Amino acid sequence: MRVGQPDGRTAAAIVILAVVLVWPAGRLAAQDSQFGIRGLGTPGKQESVRARSTGGAFAPFDAFSPLMDASLVDVRRVGGSVTGALSRRTVDIGGTQTPLRGTRFPALVIGGPIGRRLVIAGGFSTYLDRTFGISTSDTIVVRNDTVPITDAVTSDGAVADLRLAAAGRVNRWFAVGGGLHLLTGSTRVEATRTFGDTAYRNTTARDQVSYEGAGASVSALLDLGASLRVAGWFRADSKLRAQIRGKTAAENDLPNSYGAGILWRPGSQFALAGTATWRDWTASAPNGHNTFNWSLGTELGSPGSGFRLGARGGQMPFGAGSEAPTEVGLSAGIGKQFSAGRGRIDFGVERLERKGLGLSEQVWTFLLGLTVRP
Amino acid sequence: MRYLGIALLCAVPIACTEVASAPGACPTFCPNGTIESRDTIFTDIIVRDSSFRGYVQGYQAEAMTAADIPGVIDSRAFFVLNDMSTRTTYRAGDTTTVPIVPDSARLRTIIVRRDTLATNLRLNLYRLPVTADSNDTFASLDPYFNSPPVDSVNVSAVLARPPITDDSTRQIWGDSIWTDSAGHVITLAENGRTLVLFWHLDTLQAPLVEADSGSLAYGVRVAADSLATVAIGTLESARNALLTWYYHYTVPDTVTTEPDSVKSGSAPRAPRFDSFVFDRPVPPLDENLVVGGAPSARSLLRVDWPEFLHDSIDVVRATLILVPVGPVLASPADSFEIRALPVTTDVGAKSPLALVFQGLATIHPQTTDTVRMELTDLVRNWALDTAQTTAFMLGQVPEAASYTEIRFYSSRAPAFRPALHVTYVKRFPFGMP
Repeated sequence: MRVGQPDGRTAAAIVILAVVLVWPAGRLAAQDSQFGIRGLGTPGKQESVRARSTGGAFAPFDAFSPLMDASLVDVRRVGGSVTGALSRRTVDIGGTQTPLRGTRFPALVIGGPIGRRLVIAGGFSTYLDRTFGISTSDTIVVRNDTVPITDAVTSDGAVADLRLAAAGRVNRWFAVGGGLHLLTGSTRVEATRTFGDTAYRNTTARDQVSYEGAGASVSALLDLGASLRVAGWFRADSKLRAQIRGKTAAENDLPNSYGAGILWRPGSQFALAGTATWRDWTASAPNGHNTFNWSLGTELGSPGSGFRLGARGGQMPFGAGSEAPTEVGLSAGIGKQFSAGRGRIDFGVERLERKGLGLSEQVWTFLLGLTVRP
Repeated sequence: MRYLGIALLCAVPIACTEVASAPGACPTFCPNGTIESRDTIFTDIIVRDSSFRGYVQGYQAEAMTAADIPGVIDSRAFFVLNDMSTRTTYRAGDTTTVPIVPDSARLRTIIVRRDTLATNLRLNLYRLPVTADSNDTFASLDPYFNSPPVDSVNVSAVLARPPITDDSTRQIWGDSIWTDSAGHVITLAENGRTLVLFWHLDTLQAPLVEADSGSLAYGVRVAADSLATVAIGTLESARNALLTWYYHYTVPDTVTTEPDSVKSGSAPRAPRFDSFVFDRPVPPLDENLVVGGAPSARSLLRVDWPEFLHDSIDVVRATLILVPVGPVLASPADSFEIRALPVTTDVGAKSPLALVFQGLATIHPQTTDTVRMELTDLVRNWALDTAQTTAFMLGQVPEAASYTEIRFYSSRAPAFRPALHVTYVKRFPFGMP
């Protein structure tokens, strides 16, 4: 086998892994978080598989992570990257554990240079995930009689972030980027009440909630010498408008986001990065909290085919009580280039633990990323 | 590169999302909103209600009631059989006829309803004039019903006898057969509650009268120690009475080389008319809602459907509440059903009815309990389709088969007017965080 040339084993591995991810798609699943149900949703991780394998620490410096625009300056030729994720989540409420599974397609970035200094890119990522299902059983008193009921409320969909971004290098050590974001998407929602008494008809209400909003982001990359790079970004979003059949059902503020990161690459076989992000979700929902999130990660080996490790921590934006739920996680992954560097496949695994008042979650997420540079 | 394309195609379905249902920890980790049930009795929703009579006559009913409840009702069934030829041809294609000589007859009557608690239940058969028809009344037929009966059978006594079990008889009559020494035969049919009663009649009990064109008319009275009431099937239910003539005739030797020979035959005759009469005058319609009786009465109830119930709720149960003016005077066995059917177009008494989304309620005589009828499917249809006519007709099932009728207070009686008890679920507040 010649390195960098297409061969049967690589292709088989790709197909098998893709099938493995697709296979459980028909089963009940969720990658969302219960903390997002009573809120605007669960914020998506705007990270490629490579960045997510480092706990998200490499996201500001990874051109194919939609988190920051300035990092697009590293795109030397047209390329695209897609991320897929399969998660297994265990929800623990008062000692009762419920296993859930889900698949997602959380990010896509396609970009390429225009001229020597400018790179443009587009794509989408998950801004707020609003997929969940809850069921409750109770009794109600109707007509002076106690009637058992089971309620089920489901939501299937998300708010997607469609991004059009550009980045340019001001000089050898400084690059800037900016992006326009269109927040759009919809959820299919259904609420069903099943009566234990057949004298009552079961009732189901279905609707589709569409979402719209807009945002803008700016970011910058500063190279401090050959081995140190610093990133900073800011993003502001408008209100998120939820509409049902053309009528506005809700309008909620979206947060401003601030973040900074630092990357240290002392040589070609090692890189270490850390990021910190702050978002003000307090005004978004009654149970909203401002969040601070951090991550720390490393990549061992060449940037394309290295072994990655990372850790993350911080807060979830929505939860009961005066303190925000917390999220900590560890992640790892590897990458493999093929076709003479024209393509790269990334694998990652992430373990998250979320804790809040009255609820905790443990999440295993298996990641598959494909990056193509034709 | 082609492998990358394949991989991307395989990865695309990952974009599909699935929903997992987990037990909800509400309200902390549930959507901001609940499925809220409301329960309201709309006391003034029934408006412009009216009653009309004459939809089905007694002779058009699916059954005819014979009852004798002292102080309550005396109801008598009767039927007029089709003509019977008094002559017959003895050879195909030959117009020459010879007289037939009746030997006997077997009359079948089907008892479609009876009180199984009745003791010493007896049916008496009377000859009636063949001119009996819809113009006859209880009074006009009373003399015939007070003459000596043609035959009588004690149904309770026959059923108390051991059933016939020999195979040859069962091959002809069926599994459950009872008989008595007078030749009466009773078999069970359908659900086991329907009795098929055969009367064996001789030529005196069933004479072939040429002046009457061979027609016969009979009436049935019922008697018992108590609970004397039965319903007999009619032409409309295809459970009519049926008289089978058994006869013989002689083929003259003048037309054949054989000596005079006797041949026999049989000929069934169904009624051309069946009905029943009772001693209680049909009460006139009043301000109340009348359902039942013979001729049958129906009540049209119009519903002033609130606008908010059209688009903001989902009806999960709807119950019509009717308050009887008084108890139904009848035997307990004469309970009956009333049915509500939606009106497709409201043109008053002759409004066409749809045979869907019906509501049913059973009326038990001698009680004044409030009647509740489930109309959930009908009301849900109204809530979903604003083009529907929000009215329904109440009628008896089956109609005009009995003297029984019930009267409910109408909207003109404010304290007891009809009401609609609606349980509904409000629209879920989707979209709220």
